[in-house]
Amino acid sequence: MRRHRPRNSIPETDGKHLLVNWQVKYALAVLAKAGGDSTAEQVEGDLIRVVTENQPDVLAAISPDVKIDIVTATRYRQQYPGLDFLCGYRANCVWKGDAIQYLEQNRVGWGNFGTLCSAALDGSANNASHKIYKFSDRLLRQYGRVEQVIREYDRVHRVFLKGGAVLRIGMIAEYEPTADAVRSLWEQFGPVDVAWNINPNGNPTPEAVDAGSELGCEVVKWDEMKDLMRRS
Amino acid sequence: MGRDEGPHAQVLMTAAEIAAHLLASCKSLRQFASYMFGSALSGIGQDIDILIVGPGGEALSQLKEEIQLASENLPLHVLYMQPSEARQTEFVTREKCVPLAQLASSAMP
Repeated sequence: MRRHRPRNSIPETDGKHLLVNWQVKYALAVLAKAGGDSTAEQVEGDLIRVVTENQPDVLAAISPDVKIDIVTATRYRQQYPGLDFLCGYRANCVWKGDAIQYLEQNRVGWGNFGTLCSAALDGSANNASHKIYKFSDRLLRQYGRVEQVIREYDRVHRVFLKGGAVLRIGMIAEYEPTADAVRSLWEQFGPVDVAWNINPNGNPTPEAVDAGSELGCEVVKWDEMKDLMRRS
Repeated sequence: MGRDEGPHAQVLMTAAEIAAHLLASCKSLRQFASYMFGSALSGIGQDIDILIVGPGGEALSQLKEEIQLASENLPLHVLYMQPSEARQTEFVTREKCVPLAQLASSAMP
């Protein structure tokens, strides 16, 4: 007989250690602390069930990975049939374009923990995408001068403009991007033509702009991005 | 800390323990000013926000490697600033950043 376990409870131990990975502990603790409309429990391994009143339950895998590629995404789907959402728990988790495409084609939502919480609340887990980059991704795709967009990573897009020019654009989500944010984007993802500060509030520091100049990319906000695409 | 935040909170490191862990694990932190800010200071947060202020170059690369190892089981979110950026943005004051050393001393028995 299955043992009853209250929601947001801590799963069983092996007598010495809790059989819960660190990122699952954090996810359950944060949801419990929030005390909102959603509750959660561990199902097994990295898999949790998020329960929200008047919405479908969400089976979500909470990944500790720093990078999620198609191999990781496929492994999670095979390991947990019925998966609704794959969550990269770390703030610095990077999603490769092939993983994003694979998950979206298979109706598995993807993104950070905040994305999961929002999606569970509005019942959209299977179609959800990383909330930090969702709006900017859409802005690019809907901009009139854009012919085609290839998403290489969650935050790096190769944009083909109708005039024939091609721009590789990296998104920086920080409120006030620093020189290190620009240099790290370049080191981690390779050369970009533009480092786009997608946070509508705040501005890049002068040091960030200088770092971009040294590397050979412009550090811009959306209005400057539009100008740049018009000129290209 | 110390508030009742459910059973999971009790098995997670406190802000003071995290600060002590980072200072012990990341020797390069001595060359930098290091702080914690955000929700982790007042209990369980989704991320543990850390601010590092100091030089770039080799010292920063070394520190990043050490932090990567030290955060294997922690959701660290680290912001690196040059001293001029920290001054200009007044980040430490604005975000009520607490030095890691100060936090760690509260973890001492």
